[in-house]
Amino acid sequence: MKSRIFSVLCQNVPGVMMRVSREFTRRQINLDSVTVGIEPTGLARMILIFNADDRMAEFMRRVLLRAEPVVDVEVIDPSRSIVREVALLKTKPLADDRMWKVIAEIERAGGRVLDSRNGVVIAELSGDHEEIERVVRSLGPEVLKEVARSGQVLISKE
Amino acid sequence: MTGSRALFEALKAEGVRHIFGIPGGAIIPVYDALYDEHEIVHILTRHEQAAAHAADGYARALGKPGVCMTTSGPGATNLTTGILNAYMDSSPVVAISGQVPTKTLGTDAFQEADMLSVMLPVTKHNFIVHTVEELPATIRLAFRTAMSGRPGPVHIDLPKDVQVSSADLKIPAEITYDKLPKLEPDPEDVRMAVRMMVSAAQPVIYAGGGVIWSGASAELVQLAELLGAPVVTSLMGKGAIPEDHPLSLGMLGMHGRMAANLAVTECDLLVGIGVRFSDRATGDVRHFAPRAKIMHVDIDRVEIGKNVRVDLPVIADAKLFLRAVLAGLRLQAQKGRTSEWLERIERLRRDLSPRMDYDEVPIKPQRAVKEIMEVLGADGIVVTEVGQCQMWAAHFYQVRRPRHFISSGGLGTMGFGFPAAIGAKVARPECDVVNIAGDGSFLMNSQEMATAVVNRINVVSCIFNNGYLGMVKQWQDLFYGKRRSAVDLRGSPDFVRLAEAYGGWGDRATRPGEIGPKLREALKSGKPAILDIPIDPEEHVLPMVPAGGRLDEPILT
Repeated sequence: MKSRIFSVLCQNVPGVMMRVSREFTRRQINLDSVTVGIEPTGLARMILIFNADDRMAEFMRRVLLRAEPVVDVEVIDPSRSIVREVALLKTKPLADDRMWKVIAEIERAGGRVLDSRNGVVIAELSGDHEEIERVVRSLGPEVLKEVARSGQVLISKE
Repeated sequence: MTGSRALFEALKAEGVRHIFGIPGGAIIPVYDALYDEHEIVHILTRHEQAAAHAADGYARALGKPGVCMTTSGPGATNLTTGILNAYMDSSPVVAISGQVPTKTLGTDAFQEADMLSVMLPVTKHNFIVHTVEELPATIRLAFRTAMSGRPGPVHIDLPKDVQVSSADLKIPAEITYDKLPKLEPDPEDVRMAVRMMVSAAQPVIYAGGGVIWSGASAELVQLAELLGAPVVTSLMGKGAIPEDHPLSLGMLGMHGRMAANLAVTECDLLVGIGVRFSDRATGDVRHFAPRAKIMHVDIDRVEIGKNVRVDLPVIADAKLFLRAVLAGLRLQAQKGRTSEWLERIERLRRDLSPRMDYDEVPIKPQRAVKEIMEVLGADGIVVTEVGQCQMWAAHFYQVRRPRHFISSGGLGTMGFGFPAAIGAKVARPECDVVNIAGDGSFLMNSQEMATAVVNRINVVSCIFNNGYLGMVKQWQDLFYGKRRSAVDLRGSPDFVRLAEAYGGWGDRATRPGEIGPKLREALKSGKPAILDIPIDPEEHVLPMVPAGGRLDEPILT
C-alpha cells in the first residue's frame, strides 16, 4: 500500500463528485484528501489522494476513466509536482507569554498571523502535508481549538 | 412542442418501436401524449420490474435498445433490479421515469424518490432532465451511451414540469447504431496476437457476450476453423458459435461442460474475447488455465486483468479484432494444427458428451431440455429463469444462433425469464420463444401472464416443477449437510389452472414422451402458454465445480 495521487479532469455537473467518490467507496478505499477546482476550460479538476497497492491503483485509474463524466485521469508523481495544502489554525485563549511563543513557532514554520484578540490567535500556514502535520502535532490540542485544512492541491512541474 | 411530445419524437428518431411500462401520477403527461402516438406500441406490464426485464429481453433478442417507462417513486425504484440485471449483462436498456416537478425536488414530495442517486450505481450512466430544452439532446445522448462501446442501461429522470412545458424544440435526425464508431485494435497488438496464435500448440478460444454484441459470430467461427481451436463460451456467449459445430465445447465454468473445463485446463493459449472471466466461469483463478498464456480482448479496459492474469491485453471491438487477426493469420503459412490437439478435443467432445436420454418418471430435467431443443430447432429463442432450470438449460441446450439464448448471468435474477421472454417475442415475433422456468422463479413475475394474454404475446413457459428453490436446496444438500432450510415451495398454484385463469393455454406433461407433442400444441395454441413439467425433485445440476474450486475437479455425483 502506497499513497497515490490522481488528478481527475471531469465535467463540471451536479453529481460528478458522487460518481467519482462512489467508485472508491465500492472498493473500500478511503479518500485521504479531495480538492476540486474549476479549470479555465470550465472543466473541473479533482485531486484525489488515497492508499492502494499497484494493482488496485491501476484498476481505479481504469474505473474512473470509464465513468461517463470523467474526461481524463492523470497519475501524479509527487516528486515531479509541487504539492501544497493550506491550514487555518485557531488557538484557545492563551496567556500572553504562551501566545507569543505560539506565534513565534507558527512564523518559524512560514505561517502568518491573520488575527489575534483576547489571546486567541488565528493563523494561516501553507506547505506540504507533512510540514503542516508537524506544526499541528507540535502545538497539539492543548493550544489549538480548531484547524481548517484545504486538502492537497498540486501542479506538475512539467 | 411539449416535453412529452418531444420525448416521443426523440424516441422515434432513435428507432424506438416498443415501450414496456406502467403509468402513474408523475408521468401522466407523457402517457397523455402517448394517446396520440401511433408509431410506438406501448405494452402495459403488471409490475415495473417486469417492464425492465422485458426491455432487457427485447434488447438482447434484437441487438437494439429496449425501452421501459414508469412513474416516479415506487414505479422507478421497482425498475432497479431489472436495470442492474441489464448492467451486469451489458444490455442496452433505456429507462425513463417520471419525477416530481423540479420545484419540489428534495422536499419529500408525494412519490418522490432520489432516483439520480438510486440509479447511479446500477446504470452505465443516468440523467435528470432539468429543462424541456435539454430533453432532445439528453435522449440522443442516453441512447448513444447505451449502445456505444460496452452496451449498458441508461436511466432518464423526467420531472413533471419538464413534461408539460413547451419550447421550440429541434429533434435530432434519425440515426442507426451501426454508424457508431468502433474501437480498432492496435496493429502491434494484432501482430502479437497472430504470433501467439500461430505458435500455440493447444489453443482454446473463450467467447462471451461481447462477440454477440459486436456481431462477430461468423468471424469467431472462421478463426476457430483456421486455427483449429475449440471454442468454449461464457453464459452470455452461448450462441456466439453454433453449439453443434465440431469445434464448440459448450459453456465453461461452475456448471459448464466437462469438455470445456478440461480443454481450458489443458490449453497452452487461451484467447478470451468479449468475456469478463467471472468467478462462476474461472473457479479458483490460481488453477485457471494453468499452462496457458492468456490473451484478453475486450472493449472495456476495466475488465482486462481484473480477475485473471493477462499476457496480452487487447482493447478493441471484438469483430474488428477478429477481422484483423484473420487477415494476419491468412498471410502466415499455416502449418497444420497439431492433429494431436484436435484429436484430444474430439475425444473430449465424444467421451464427455452429457447424457440426456433418460426415460424415467418423474421426468429428468436433462430429458426435458432435450425435448424442448428438438421442438424449437435452430430458429427458436430460449429464455431462462434463474437457478437449476437455468443451469440445466445452459449446460445441455445446444444454441445454434446468436441472440437465441437469453439468461440472467451476472445478477442471477429470479423472475427474469418470463418478462424477458415477452420482450424477446415482441422483438422477434417470427420466432418461437420458450421460457425454461423453475416453479420458484416463474412465480416471481407470473402476473405477466396478463400482459402476455392481453397483447397476444404467445410465449411458452416450460416450468421445470420440482417444488423447491432447487439451487439453494442443491447447495444445502452438497455443502450444508442436507439441512434443507426454507426451500420447500409447497403452496404454489396449479400452473395449468393458473394459465387458464389468465385466459392462456395450460397443460401438464408427466411422461418424457409427452413433452414434445404438448410443447408443439402449446406453440400452436395461439395463446401464451404454460407447460407444467413435474421433474424429479431430487435431481441436482451436475457436474458442478464448487465455488472457488478447480475446473478440473468437479463434483460428479
